Amino acid sequence: TAEPKETDEPALPSAALTALRSARPIETLKGLEYPEGIQSPNPALNPTAAPAKFRYDKDFLMQFQTVFTDKPSTDWDERMSKTIGDIESARPGVGSR
Amino acid sequence: AIAAEGNDPTEQLTVFHSADNFNVKHPLMNKWTLWFTKPPSGKGGNDWSDLLKEVVTFDSVEEFWGIYNNISKTSDLSLKSDYHLFKQGVRPEWEDVQNKNGGKWSYQFRDKRAVNIDELWLNVMLSAIGETLEADAANEVMGVVVNVRKAFYRIGVWTRTTGAKGGNKDALMEIGKRFKDVLKLPARDYVEFSGHTESAHSGSTRAKAKYSV
Repeated sequence: TAEPKETDEPALPSAALTALRSARPIETLKGLEYPEGIQSPNPALNPTAAPAKFRYDKDFLMQFQTVFTDKPSTDWDERMSKTIGDIESARPGVGSR
Repeated sequence: AIAAEGNDPTEQLTVFHSADNFNVKHPLMNKWTLWFTKPPSGKGGNDWSDLLKEVVTFDSVEEFWGIYNNISKTSDLSLKSDYHLFKQGVRPEWEDVQNKNGGKWSYQFRDKRAVNIDELWLNVMLSAIGETLEADAANEVMGVVVNVRKAFYRIGVWTRTTGAKGGNKDALMEIGKRFKDVLKLPARDYVEFSGHTESAHSGSTRAKAKYSV
């Protein structure tokens, strides 16, 4: 935490990112229990799902939106600036809306 | 009763049980790669292939949301930008050998201010990664794309075939119907399908529609 801000050292992964990296893919939806208030994937979409091959409905997927919010890699900001660019600082007049 | 801090190592804890300490994640049926087309800058190096950037590849629901929650919204992108979400290994170009016999369903939203493009694009991405755009084993969907242009937003679904020559037209029509549902279009509006080859030969992406639904 005493690292200077300009360091090139990759940031430490967040707890959520560490969990994401080490988590196992779910093999079967049978027997998997979600906390109360969380809706399971629509069983009609997965009548004969092969292990770890699932279809997910929109309502199920939307439940994650506010739950996994961390950046998906420690170099995310750098990756964004190399690919999508910094939208805020785009030169005025170029592609302005 | 859910024990998020349970000690049982076989217990499956999802991100809903513990956002910082989950031990299982929701796999996607396919690995997906997000691509971005940068608008031309006015300086050199503006070949389309230079402007097309591979952003990230992912294979779980959790990772998708980590990406989505930390990336520019479509409505914030500059004109001439595109997002492409394609199955890993397929370049979002009609020249890719896996796309050359294919085509796309698409729809243009011409009243840009009237449309919630962020919500529509999210819903289309969710239908792709959730594998609900096509029926079992159709294996036609290659990817989805959103184009930001001066006069419109356009969303498309790319397919492996055009329904001809060994393709499955019924499967394609089913994808068109589902796509139209995801976009919440009224019955009087149509999503249109065209083959990539026709589009290429006409020198325009606005080739004559082969099918509509």
